[in-house]
Amino acid sequence: MDNLTLAQQFSLIGLNGQDSLYQTVVKKATLRCVAAAVVLEAWLEGVFVWDREWFMIDPLSIDSFCEEPYRSLVMKTLLPKGKNKDLSWWIRKVSGLSKRKMTQLEKAITDPLRKQGLIEEIPGLLGCDLYLHSSGVEIKEYRSDSQSFLTITESVRAEVLEEGTIPDEAICMLWLLRESGCMHDLFSRNEIETAGEKMGALYRGNPLAKQLYMLRVRRGIEMAYKQFLKFKSRAVRTQTGSGINFLFPALERSQSVFIEMEAWFSNPERRLRDIKNRLESQGHKFTILREGQIPLIQIDNVVYEAIPHVIYGRVPIHGVRLLPRRPF
Amino acid sequence: MSRQRSLEVILASEYVSIGELVRLTGTRYSTLKFYTEEGMLPFEQAEENLTRRFHRETTVKQIQKIKQMKAEGMSIPQMKEWLARER
Repeated sequence: MDNLTLAQQFSLIGLNGQDSLYQTVVKKATLRCVAAAVVLEAWLEGVFVWDREWFMIDPLSIDSFCEEPYRSLVMKTLLPKGKNKDLSWWIRKVSGLSKRKMTQLEKAITDPLRKQGLIEEIPGLLGCDLYLHSSGVEIKEYRSDSQSFLTITESVRAEVLEEGTIPDEAICMLWLLRESGCMHDLFSRNEIETAGEKMGALYRGNPLAKQLYMLRVRRGIEMAYKQFLKFKSRAVRTQTGSGINFLFPALERSQSVFIEMEAWFSNPERRLRDIKNRLESQGHKFTILREGQIPLIQIDNVVYEAIPHVIYGRVPIHGVRLLPRRPF
Repeated sequence: MSRQRSLEVILASEYVSIGELVRLTGTRYSTLKFYTEEGMLPFEQAEENLTRRFHRETTVKQIQKIKQMKAEGMSIPQMKEWLARER
């Protein structure tokens, strides 16, 4: 993935699994970070130069930097009139991007990736859910190319978790992951502690980290919403699985998908066959990692547990609930 | 799954597995797998489905070299380039 820029690499991580048709709260947080990644790219490519005690933008190199449409969109939108501004000013400005600009940025960043076959629009997994499937609602989401996704995430993990110096690109990526709330997608709980310690050490000893890590591009309400969704998925633990969706599935459906079974009291083989049929009918790529009572299925870069479940309505409906299992 | 070999047996072997390299070098499994996929660690594999075998001495040296380069501040793309030039 050496030929991809920081913003493109981050987009493949951040947009993977996000709704592609609508501006969701979580996607807005990701796009704001994509815009911040463009500013950081400018820093990495030397468009920002050290001026006494701050990194300031170099007006001579900005035009050559803005050849790519997504870069031009961000930099030209934010470019200050008159006095030159430092890196922190640019990052703060990113957090105020309008919804219209973010929609334009989404198109500008995904179009070249789509042409290279690195990201595609697929039917959303949520579309497999009993209620949405039967009502014919169209849901689409982004899926990053599995190999590229794995290469980028493993590269970041290797740079951050192994001993040694952490390069500037990884310093920026860590900040972007923190600001977009994607840390839990890449690191386990123990690894997050290690990453946190590394970020602390970088903050004390690296000039870029010192300036960057105290900045915030996220909006509190977006992060609170995302954290609430994560909390919900962990809050309740039952004999068959964990997640508040077992109690209140109507609250948030993107975390938990219910697939009904053709027969009552299906055995594990028939359950798995029904899941496969539904996933195939919706055009999903999947791999069965483990069979048995609770199968483990990798669908579009995310691993899910398929837990037997019953919905009690006027008539009980037997089926399975797909719950994401993180970190993969 | 076969039984884990003792450290003495591993140190006497010419070829080792990726799991044994983890024990020998203290590097994380996923990192070694990533380095292998990126072509930074050469291996032998009789058939596609068979286990990858690593030459113990040269691979351990290679991992130590990678660690040293990382300590010197090189990024993974730079290390890859450097190792490719050296081959």
